[in-house]
Amino acid sequence: MSDPLAEWQRLSPWAMVSLLLTQAAEQGRQHLPLLLGAGAGLTLLDAIGWRELLLAGGGVLCLALLLAWRYYRRFRFRLEDDVLVIHSGLFEQREYKLAAHHVQQIATRQPLHMRPFGVVEWQVVPLAGDASRITLPGIRQAIAEALSERLSPYALTPQAAAPAHYVLTAKGLLLHGLTSRSVMVAAAMLSPLIRPLERWLHDIAPSLAWRDWLPTAPLLLAALALLVVLAVVLLLSVIAAAWRFFGYRLVEHGGRQIQTSGLLQRQRQSLTLSRLQVVEWVETGPGRLLGCGYLVCHQFGGAGDEGRRFLVPGITGGEQRRLLATLWPGLSWPAELVRVSRHYRRVLLLRGVLLGGLLLAGSGALLDVTLPGWQWLLLAAALLALVVLGAWRRWYCQGWARSGDYLWVRHGLFGLRTHVFALHKAIAVDVRQSWFQRRRGLATLHLHLAHGRVALPYIEHATALALADELLAACASDSVVEPPD
Amino acid sequence: MTHSDPPAGAESWRGLGESPLQPLSPHLAPCLALHKAAGWLVVVLAVAWMPLGDSPLLAWRAWLVAGVAGCAALGVGLAWCEARRRGYALREHDIVQRRGLLVRRLQALPLVRLQHIETRSNPLERCFGLVRLACFTAGGRGADLLIEGLPAAQAELLKQQLLDRLSGASGESSA
Repeated sequence: MSDPLAEWQRLSPWAMVSLLLTQAAEQGRQHLPLLLGAGAGLTLLDAIGWRELLLAGGGVLCLALLLAWRYYRRFRFRLEDDVLVIHSGLFEQREYKLAAHHVQQIATRQPLHMRPFGVVEWQVVPLAGDASRITLPGIRQAIAEALSERLSPYALTPQAAAPAHYVLTAKGLLLHGLTSRSVMVAAAMLSPLIRPLERWLHDIAPSLAWRDWLPTAPLLLAALALLVVLAVVLLLSVIAAAWRFFGYRLVEHGGRQIQTSGLLQRQRQSLTLSRLQVVEWVETGPGRLLGCGYLVCHQFGGAGDEGRRFLVPGITGGEQRRLLATLWPGLSWPAELVRVSRHYRRVLLLRGVLLGGLLLAGSGALLDVTLPGWQWLLLAAALLALVVLGAWRRWYCQGWARSGDYLWVRHGLFGLRTHVFALHKAIAVDVRQSWFQRRRGLATLHLHLAHGRVALPYIEHATALALADELLAACASDSVVEPPD
Repeated sequence: MTHSDPPAGAESWRGLGESPLQPLSPHLAPCLALHKAAGWLVVVLAVAWMPLGDSPLLAWRAWLVAGVAGCAALGVGLAWCEARRRGYALREHDIVQRRGLLVRRLQALPLVRLQHIETRSNPLERCFGLVRLACFTAGGRGADLLIEGLPAAQAELLKQQLLDRLSGASGESSA
């Protein structure tokens, strides 16, 4: 029987329609101010007339269809043994080749409009990192699964058969929505609405009947407004979490973790455990209060886009310990983390006091504020209290532990981030000593990992050197490009 | 073997702090000092020719220029001393570099992480016959280790040694 993947394959025609529509929507979104801003669209319409505008629109549509047809004709792919070969390009022919043993991660996404046609978007991340990601924008699901199976066996197919070892519950989803960084994203999304809302409140709201229902006390009104804004932000954040993580299942199969999630846009990601570099256990400030956090699995050249990272969301009840042991068998959670030197706290305090002093002096000089002396003192005392609290928290949260062949580094202020990695996964090490540190026999160890740099500040100089030696010795028996399984 | 043990066959395994380092070219100090001086000269000239109008700062311009020039002299002097302290070592399994004067750094890059190597030199470095060696690792966005101030012949030799190790390591992993 001949292998269909050995023949040249094309994108699905439905994918081309989808690409055309999404590109049109994207262009429209980007040039919306140019088209409609300040009556520009109406002025253009008056100047050239309806008929000419329709003709121009038709011309642009014909050109887009022609380009889409050319893109469709020139985009083709096939498998040559275990090498994926892709030909693409509108005006210049490009050829991409990716060998199976260089595949780091495979992901498929199926937006709602692609579901009826059985088409998916297929993406592969090579070892070079996310910047070298290759995307097939729309291929039939059967071809995508066959491709995944050939390039990374067991990558995406077995989820129906294998039992999930982590399923996101409704409570976990809700807590993740309330505590993750989506809250900040939702707040940022709402920020452009502040001015129109302010204008509306000033111009129209006084004439509305429901104004009688509002409290008259300004403080109470402000508190109510704050509460409403907070509720809207939290609701948006929960919706964002549900959009991405609804129905989240994590399955282990053939040395890989496969996750499936998404409300309207179904998304599958596979993570080869042998390529896993660092796991990050993240607890935000509200997350610590509500007992919820999430795991981020990092590989080489990690995605800057939060939406593309391999996340295990909404973890509650200490389940991170079990999950970490699944990701890295033999890993045990350390009983206690070692604190860094108390001198770190003093240095932070000194930096904070200097910064606070400059801030006070600058605001006094620039704003020409004529506050009474006792108010300045009160302000300085409040600032000092904040600095002391911040320095103490930063020092208290900083810690590290060596547990078997794994190193744990934790840092944070109100939220906590704990990086866990095997010693042989370090890329480079850097021991730094300032003048003050040399006097105290301390050093800062900078660890260069696959997802970035992690610092271990103000530990004993001898400890920093010993840790660096251990990391280098562990790396000496390792290789970046692991042989294929 | 646990990962914390020294690698097998490495009888001469030395700690990071104990490795003897090779000094860089003696021309690095004047090269870096000139580079710093050129940067500071722009700042000094900007302060000297800054239009101040009737500002009371006008009376202090000479002192301002002198102050900035003093800072420049200090910066250039520090750069000179820092360059003299730099050193590097190519060890069995990694490459180490020491740099910094007020904040001292000891960088180490395991050779198994090395993906490719580049040599670079700007016109000033070429005047002094110096070359920079940039070492890149997988997934990195820039050079993970940059050794400045190597004489051209030494840089070529070091590059060749690193390439030999790279090809040796890839041969071992594919065997």
